[in-house]
Amino acid sequence: MNVVYKHIIRFVVFAFLQALVFNQLNIGFGIHLMIQPLFIMLLPFELTVIPMMGIAFLMGLVIDIFSNTYGLNTSSLVLMAYLRPIVFKFYGPREGYDPLKEPTSQDMGSNWFTVVYSILLGLHTFWFFLLEIFEIGRLGFILQKTLLSGGLSFLLALLIQSFILNSKQKK
Amino acid sequence: MRNLIAFLQRFRIFLVFAVLQILALTWYVTYLSFPRNQFLTTNNNIAIQFLEWEHDLTKHFNLSKNNSQLQWENIYWRKRQPQFMYQLSRSKVKVNDTIYEQQYTYIPAEVINSSIDRRNNYFTLNVGTAQGIKRGMGVFCQQGVVGVIHYASKHYSLVKTVLTKDINIDVNIHMKKTDLPGLLKWDGRDARYGMITGINNDLRIKKWSKVETRGGSGIFPKGIPVGKVSFTEPIEGQALWKVEIRYAADYRRLQRVYVIKNLHLEEQTALEARIPDDE
Repeated sequence: MNVVYKHIIRFVVFAFLQALVFNQLNIGFGIHLMIQPLFIMLLPFELTVIPMMGIAFLMGLVIDIFSNTYGLNTSSLVLMAYLRPIVFKFYGPREGYDPLKEPTSQDMGSNWFTVVYSILLGLHTFWFFLLEIFEIGRLGFILQKTLLSGGLSFLLALLIQSFILNSKQKK
Repeated sequence: MRNLIAFLQRFRIFLVFAVLQILALTWYVTYLSFPRNQFLTTNNNIAIQFLEWEHDLTKHFNLSKNNSQLQWENIYWRKRQPQFMYQLSRSKVKVNDTIYEQQYTYIPAEVINSSIDRRNNYFTLNVGTAQGIKRGMGVFCQQGVVGVIHYASKHYSLVKTVLTKDINIDVNIHMKKTDLPGLLKWDGRDARYGMITGINNDLRIKKWSKVETRGGSGIFPKGIPVGKVSFTEPIEGQALWKVEIRYAADYRRLQRVYVIKNLHLEEQTALEARIPDDE
């Protein structure tokens, strides 16, 4: 039960941080910071795909409503939730994941987290900008936006993780 | 039947994925063309409440810049007031006479939510149908044109800005002898630069010539600044120029805007509806 509450609180915090803070930052160079993929990433290991896609759909819906993007975030988050078990299986330990652990960098090691999260975040961001721009002739621009936004969002995710880690140690 | 159930069992994850994707993408595609369900945008009551709180916090960030701009604008109009002018000949300067009739009125508004680096950028304004806002009205700020009202709810409205793919505002490139008409577009790259399409390359365009609204469709009055031509290049295989302009307004810091109400619009559309279809 504790886990459920924790993730509900995380849902609210991540959605509002994204909608009211990171969406309002206009950095320039086409950079769009996204922290909602980290929420999908941090969902527990034992959650199956279909509920996870439902949660991703809800999360995307909330963010889309706040940022007038009409389904862009929803589509890319659902794609990420669909791909998460596949990528996890590919990079997982042979005996399967320990259900007591969480998919964070301090539980699973920073190497594992870097590889898995950068793959998932990269696919999510690429899909987002591909749909948003929707012109094959401008693939270079899409890739540029993906790399810049994805890289900065990844650093931001590491920062947020360190916050979560610190609050845990204090308890 | 059993085969079908077995099939659904096997592919149920992919099927759920496909259904959710189709829902999201249908929403995306239909919204870009016509707003059907305004509940799922910032125009609904819950989202707008949070955005208003956020705006209350952040609206002071550019306050001094906005204030000085408003002051400059005040000076500009004050200088044009008849009572501040020296009358060279009496009875020439009159405001309410039979020659000039007011065609446009302006509704002041504040931008409470905006973005500039998406492919299609929409702004939320704090005025709605209660203040007389309707779909299709023009929006501009002190420095230049902003966009067209895309949807209006009771107290808020959504602006489709010049930073969207198919904004298609009629504009003129202002030249010494003639004006070149074209359509304004945006390529999604940089919020400071826009594009004009449909300019024939039989005339040479001077760099930094002014671009203004044409005022043909009755949305904008003639002569609202849009920007200045910053770059021209011939398009290969066509007798057209590729024209890039630098916008006059800085959309990152935009806060106060005006919505245009054309008092003659009904008359114009009623007249134009009489054009026979087959011509």
